[in-house]
Amino acid sequence: MKIELNGNEYVAGNGITVQNLIDELRLNIKSTAVAVNKTIVPKSSYAVFALNENDKIDMVTIAPGG
Amino acid sequence: MESNIKENGDVLKIGKYIFKSRLLIGTGKYPDFQTMKDAADVSGAEIITVAVRRIDFNAKENLLSYIDLDKYILLPNTAGCYTAEDAVNTLRLARELEVFRTDLVKLEVIGDPKTLYPDNEELLKAAKILVKEGFTVMPYMMDDPVLAKKLEDIGCPVVMPLASPIGSGLGIRNPYNIKIIKETVSVPVIVDAGVGTASDACKTMELGVDGILINTAIAGAVNPVNMAAAMKNAVEAGRLAYLSGRIPMKLYAQASTQMEGIVF
Repeated sequence: MKIELNGNEYVAGNGITVQNLIDELRLNIKSTAVAVNKTIVPKSSYAVFALNENDKIDMVTIAPGG
Repeated sequence: MESNIKENGDVLKIGKYIFKSRLLIGTGKYPDFQTMKDAADVSGAEIITVAVRRIDFNAKENLLSYIDLDKYILLPNTAGCYTAEDAVNTLRLARELEVFRTDLVKLEVIGDPKTLYPDNEELLKAAKILVKEGFTVMPYMMDDPVLAKKLEDIGCPVVMPLASPIGSGLGIRNPYNIKIIKETVSVPVIVDAGVGTASDACKTMELGVDGILINTAIAGAVNPVNMAAAMKNAVEAGRLAYLSGRIPMKLYAQASTQMEGIVF
């Protein structure tokens, strides 16, 4: 299925969870926060939060700033 | 110098947190991450600010690998947010990042892209929500004593007036307002933005403020690591001079040497 990940199209497996996506992208869970369709997903829900076609996913981390 | 300050128990208290260093630094605009790390190390800062941004999946290296989380407290900012809603949501998202080990947040709600001056109304609105949600809110604000009092009243345990526009290096443009803010609120005052060089930092601390947050003046210097060391010394010197109580200014000379016993 197609999802939008950080503004770009991404092809993900059907029924993939947030946790699956984090594993697939090899991200450090401690330094990653996730919003799906602009709603923040709590870390405790990653393993059960299933993504749907056309979902807009934002994955953030720290970046340089003042 | 540092040992004297420690002996006197002169620490910076922000809410329930206590810090020895009165210099806070940003991580933006450095030529590379290694220089940022080296500058942070020599600055003696305990709090360093960062932004929260979408992950760049193609990035070769990341900021986090240059930051020792046991040594520094990371302070998430809301740079680039123009509404209370965006700022609040940014910090709610930041709360999910385990790298932020405290509830300290730097709140900025920008009102104008040219000056990067904050939007007072949106700032107050966001601060109220965030305080209620349990964040320790450090608001970047105009050098406005009335606003400082309002932010204190709604529960901000620190206020952070600008010295001059972000990244301008103009130094402290209205020292009198900063002094009035310091007299108006009982929470600590950290001057955030505008410092250009070490003398600016020293003069600012001599006004009696509790700390300074510096990014561009260090990151943009020809030698950022040395400038970080200069800022550390300037902040400590300014603080110690303030605590020591300067002499009053006089129009005419007053001899330092006694006249008694003079021969010729």
